[in-house]
Amino acid sequence: MEIRAGACHRVVGAARHKARLELLLTMIVVLLSLFVFSILIGGGTLGLGEAFAAIFGWSSPENNMIMNSVRFPRALASLLCGAALGVSGAVLQALFRNPLADPYILGVSAGASLTLALSILLGVTLGWWGAYNPYSLYLSAFVGALAITLLMMIVSGFVRSVTTILVAGIMVGYVAYAVTSIVQALVEIERLRVFTYWILGSFSGARWSILGPGLPVLVACVVGSMLIAKPLDALLLGEDYARSMGMRMRLARLGLVTLSSVSVAMVTTIAGPIGFIGLCAPYIARQTLGTPAHRALLPASALAGAILAMSADLAARLIARPVELPITAVTSLFGGPLVIYLLLRGRSI
Amino acid sequence: MIRALGLASGYDSRPVVRDVNLAVRSGEFVAVIGPNASGKTTLLRTLASLLRPLGGVVYLEGRPLTELKRREIARRVGVVLTESVKPGRLTVFELVALGRYPYTGPLGRLSDNDRAEVMRALRDVGVEHLCDEVFSELSDGQRQKVMIARALAQDPRVLILDEPVTFLDPKARVDILLSLRRICRERHIAVLASMHEIELALRLADRLLVVHNGFVESFDSPEEFVAKSGPEALYGLDGDANFSAVHMTMELRHYPIRQPVFVIAGAGTGALVYRMLSRLGYPIITGVLHRGDIDYSVASLLGARVVSEEPFRPVSREALEEAQEAAGESFAAIYTSPPIGPMNSANQLLAKLLASCGVPLIVYGGGSVDGAWRKTTKLSEVASALEELEQHRPRSGPRQVKPSRQSTAQLNTGAGPMAPRDT
Repeated sequence: MEIRAGACHRVVGAARHKARLELLLTMIVVLLSLFVFSILIGGGTLGLGEAFAAIFGWSSPENNMIMNSVRFPRALASLLCGAALGVSGAVLQALFRNPLADPYILGVSAGASLTLALSILLGVTLGWWGAYNPYSLYLSAFVGALAITLLMMIVSGFVRSVTTILVAGIMVGYVAYAVTSIVQALVEIERLRVFTYWILGSFSGARWSILGPGLPVLVACVVGSMLIAKPLDALLLGEDYARSMGMRMRLARLGLVTLSSVSVAMVTTIAGPIGFIGLCAPYIARQTLGTPAHRALLPASALAGAILAMSADLAARLIARPVELPITAVTSLFGGPLVIYLLLRGRSI
Repeated sequence: MIRALGLASGYDSRPVVRDVNLAVRSGEFVAVIGPNASGKTTLLRTLASLLRPLGGVVYLEGRPLTELKRREIARRVGVVLTESVKPGRLTVFELVALGRYPYTGPLGRLSDNDRAEVMRALRDVGVEHLCDEVFSELSDGQRQKVMIARALAQDPRVLILDEPVTFLDPKARVDILLSLRRICRERHIAVLASMHEIELALRLADRLLVVHNGFVESFDSPEEFVAKSGPEALYGLDGDANFSAVHMTMELRHYPIRQPVFVIAGAGTGALVYRMLSRLGYPIITGVLHRGDIDYSVASLLGARVVSEEPFRPVSREALEEAQEAAGESFAAIYTSPPIGPMNSANQLLAKLLASCGVPLIVYGGGSVDGAWRKTTKLSEVASALEELEQHRPRSGPRQVKPSRQSTAQLNTGAGPMAPRDT
């Protein structure tokens, strides 16, 4: 009897494991096809062979230029940013123990935007550093993201209600946006158009000059997150249990907040504040995997985030062609209803 | 195993519990009892090092907690808390496997040994058949067992549980507490469990840690605690409830709202009748009972007026007369058909006498008495008969029931060794 229960468990476990692996592989295939689709579509449509030749610089100079300075970085940026958003959403949801936590809703993206805008203002008008020095941009976005994440953690220490934290986050976001708008008005007028576009969120500005320095960090965040599955799983039972099982709470919290803030800062610098991917990706991952165990959930969230970001970017480019939509306009279309659905259902996922 | 010296614990430098000195051995089950807000939870959280002590030291296997790393503490202390856990669609196995946290590497991969420990923990609390179920879909009792298994998976030396059975049904309560005691002995771990189920704690725990008004009031075996009339003092049961040391149980006192009823019982035949009368609000007069008879203790606990006789002595004439007098205040009498022998044959006589004097006599439990007003074997019929009597015979003032010459004569013969037995 005892042996049978163990053996039975092992069989069920193996079957589950296989199903999860198949799911992850499917997601990778979908993601790769989206990537190919994304580099093929643009102002002029390239053939498959032409496109791949252009990536390696074997096509016409014009094609090479379009591919290497516009389409390829854009596709790569949307893939990595989506993955980073998915991961940071999953981390924040575990940290706040709230399925509605998301960098956009909690105001983290807005905080990063604010410090970015401040940095640009200072950089341009005071000439302290170049307006678009990628390092100062990344750093200032990180400061803003970190500040808002910590603020929200303090708030969530006082209020336990899931929805109250949500409202507080949205309000913090509004305040940050208000200040950003004021800063924006002060920035030189010719920069304003670009800035307005960026503040709504779009991958159209993804260039190697910005993307390059951030790329390794972004990859490190996504891959590195796979190493934090253990503390995140322990957090599923709440902080007291996590501590009783030997988790060093302060260290873990610091690590998780930093990881999530870095990811959001990167994404916001590259593409502006992007809403709801951090909320939807972990949700989709949990629903399809059927487990909250983070060893499976984190890679699935990253993949789901990348898929969502790439499809949203494609949709933003295609829906009103040749006019491009801001990406949050697309993500809000599915993100908003999901939040309402989760609120109405009112139980943990 | 776990020891506290001069421990003070509380929140924000305001101590809730002070001067705690205790030592719990391996294999010992300690129930922590005390009224709400007495500081039980605070004390347990401090012992589990979830709360920093405000003063004093906690020793674990002889080493102060402050010298141990979190991971080392986690390998020695497992906890089950009151807060509800919402781990989404985590399976029972996955949840219990989290208990291996202090043993696994940074990636949390389970070794074969870890898996074996998880299965052992599941088996110890009897839920190994649930290992592939989703935790949140289980019943409350099953969930609590799984949480205990999770704590056991840490392979602890000390298990600390905060009110582990408070919201469970009686079967689950007994189930969980019994398996806790078994596990505590089999695995040689020290168990500290706070609980409000004082009667279960008295029957189960090796020692009771009594926390009251921020201090440890006593740390004794249940029997010593009861001998010191502990529970009554602890919960301030003045009059509304009594604690019986003999039965180790609490009895409620009901306010009498009706006329008194006289009960002739003995040897436990009256226990349920007393309880029913008390609950319905009838003041109880009963006799003649030998001191130490089970009916004697039940009736006294319920606050009945008891006419009694010394143990192992035949009922004396004085006692019989006292009983007759007392019966005069009642509007009805109940005879619960006790076994009749040389020591209590007077009770049968008393029943006949009351019937002949016009007291409506209800015979319950299969006996027979000449002149009985009603005879039944059902408690509900006893209750309805009393209702009937109450409605049709309003109170007529104390009735004199004088012992007659005849009854005294019968008493003398009845006290002999060949006394007739009631059937």
